[in-house]
Amino acid sequence: MKRIKIKQDLCMACMNCTIACMAEHNEQGKGIFDLDLTDLKNESRNHISLDSQKKPAPIFCRHCDEPECVFTCMSGAMTKDSETGIVSYNEDKCSSCFMCVMSCPYGVLKTDELRNSVVIKCDVCDGREIPRCVENCPTGCLYVEEVGVCL
Amino acid sequence: MKYLVLGASAAGINCAKTIRSLDKEGEITVVSKDDKVYSRCMLHHVVSGSRTIENLNFVSEDFFEKLDIHWMKGKNAKKLHIEDKKVVLDDESILSYDKLLIATGASSFIPPIKNLREGNQVVGFRDAEDVEMILQEYSHVKDIVVLGGGLVGIDVVSGLMAKKVNISLVEFADRILPLQLDKRSATTYEDLFKDNGVHIHTGVKAEEVLLDESNNVKGLKISSGEVIPCEMIIVATGVRPNLSFISENTVNIDKGIVVDEYCATNIADVFAAGDVCGTHPIWPLAVKQGITAGHNMVGKEKKLEDHFGFRNSLNFMDLQTVSIGIIEPVDDTYEEHIEEDGIEYKKIIVKDGIIQGAILQGDISYCGVITTLIKNKVDISKVNKNVFDINYADFFSVAEDGSYEYVV
Ligand SMILES: Cc1cc2nc3c(=O)[nH]c(=O)nc-3n(C[C@H](O)[C@H](O)[C@H](O)COP(=O)(O)OP(=O)(O)OC[C@H]3O[C@@H](n4cnc5c(N)ncnc54)[C@H](O)[C@@H]3O)c2cc1C
Ligand code: SF4
Ligand code: SF4
Repeated sequence: MKRIKIKQDLCMACMNCTIACMAEHNEQGKGIFDLDLTDLKNESRNHISLDSQKKPAPIFCRHCDEPECVFTCMSGAMTKDSETGIVSYNEDKCSSCFMCVMSCPYGVLKTDELRNSVVIKCDVCDGREIPRCVENCPTGCLYVEEVGVCL
Repeated sequence: MKYLVLGASAAGINCAKTIRSLDKEGEITVVSKDDKVYSRCMLHHVVSGSRTIENLNFVSEDFFEKLDIHWMKGKNAKKLHIEDKKVVLDDESILSYDKLLIATGASSFIPPIKNLREGNQVVGFRDAEDVEMILQEYSHVKDIVVLGGGLVGIDVVSGLMAKKVNISLVEFADRILPLQLDKRSATTYEDLFKDNGVHIHTGVKAEEVLLDESNNVKGLKISSGEVIPCEMIIVATGVRPNLSFISENTVNIDKGIVVDEYCATNIADVFAAGDVCGTHPIWPLAVKQGITAGHNMVGKEKKLEDHFGFRNSLNFMDLQTVSIGIIEPVDDTYEEHIEEDGIEYKKIIVKDGIIQGAILQGDISYCGVITTLIKNKVDISKVNKNVFDINYADFFSVAEDGSYEYVV
């Protein structure tokens, strides 16, 4: 499978990936001019966290080989595709139990700000050639690589 | 190789799926009492009317065909013969196996309260049939008592709230959700339910069901002396594993079927997974045990790495809560950290640099990190931060294949 890989030392917390993710998933359009940062609907599926030394760490869904979010999902909304390796989330199936939020070991998942009823989850830009976050990373911290593991 | 799986829920389905991914040729048969695959954790959404049973299917429509699994639905295992490796079903058909998984789950336990088992309108909350019965009866019913204020009981209450019925909840502990919540976080939910017209009786026992001549439910007498008028009682006071097809002195049984870390029983080629093991009856463990058993049934050794059952997420009245590990400090060697902001509440319990438990109510974003720290007993003493600000950045490390690892 292809995975978005991360070189932490190159991250300068510019947040281009975060804005890129918000823009890519914006219902109003994918351009930067379409993006209203004050609209709670626009949320990023990735985020940058700081450790106690203020060193940034890009927190991106790993589309894990053994995905805790899938194991804990009681509705079948979280599934791992055995061919592409992608862990996808189906909002319509979701029962808003948030077992997945509680179980993702890396704290990737959250509930949506606006309605508190769906999960904000990376979809690797739904088939886009290069994920928008990777395309917008100016330092080479994010890149895509074939990692050859699959269920 | 002939694989037989009893049960088509979290454990059984995940076991069958795992077997197929590892053995393309083997003959897999799944037998289930249920004639549908559905997630029981979501049955209250059928009560509320927001879903149908069909909508609770947690696998794809073509699951059995696609994986070439023979599913015998609506059939009960009646007798297990370990000597000749056969299972007899209630229609007298006989199935032989090379490897067997018992994943028959559990059933509602109706406690021995006076007249409770005799009442016509007394129902548990575990199976699709329970929900059908509730939906059939409820139109003649004005008042419903839910017995038991644990997770299932509160699910029932939240499902019923969409209906035009009077709901009373009866719980023996001093608060609802006593296993998951402390007083503060339980009270928040109690107040929300009360504001929506639910009558909550805590710290009381159910003593006797009042019946008419034809055993129709008329009321419930509780230990305070009060009689709660009701025409239906939904019982959510616990479950018992489904084991009736197992003869004595064969498969080892304690609280449920006893299994080792490979999900194997004491009997060769007989495995068990999920609620039938009676340990921690939660969905994620049933799934993981099913996957673990599946590997070992195929002969691919796999240990169950996760036994951690003290975790639950709750979402009632649009207020989310997670409860992980212990909910109260055991003694004064435990530090209790609390953060409150209006309805939001966070409590983290630490002992010797290790988080032992947490309750997070209101804001649960990214909280999987806390679950992992508790589950894996990760030492946080080197993290120079407010405990509520700890996140994965404090343990960040990327492996060769791009997956994350925890580094302390
Ligand atoms: C209302 C409710 C809410 C819940 N909420 C949560 C939650 O929020 N989080 C959580 O982690 N867990 C929750 N649970 C618990 C969770 O549903 C169980 O842990 C899980 O379903 C266990 O799966 P299982 O496969 O072991 O067994 P079960 O789901 O009990 O399934 C047993 C299977 O075996 C079949 N069967 C039974 N007897 C026989 C027989 N004799 N022969 C053949 N087949 C048989 C049944 O038809 C069924 O297919 C909830 C449960 C309920 C009822
Ligand atoms: S959400 Fe978390 S557990 Fe699920 S695939 Fe992504 S990183 Fe893994
Ligand atoms: S919140 Fe939705 S996706 Fe997450 S575990 Fe629950 S049902 Fe599955």
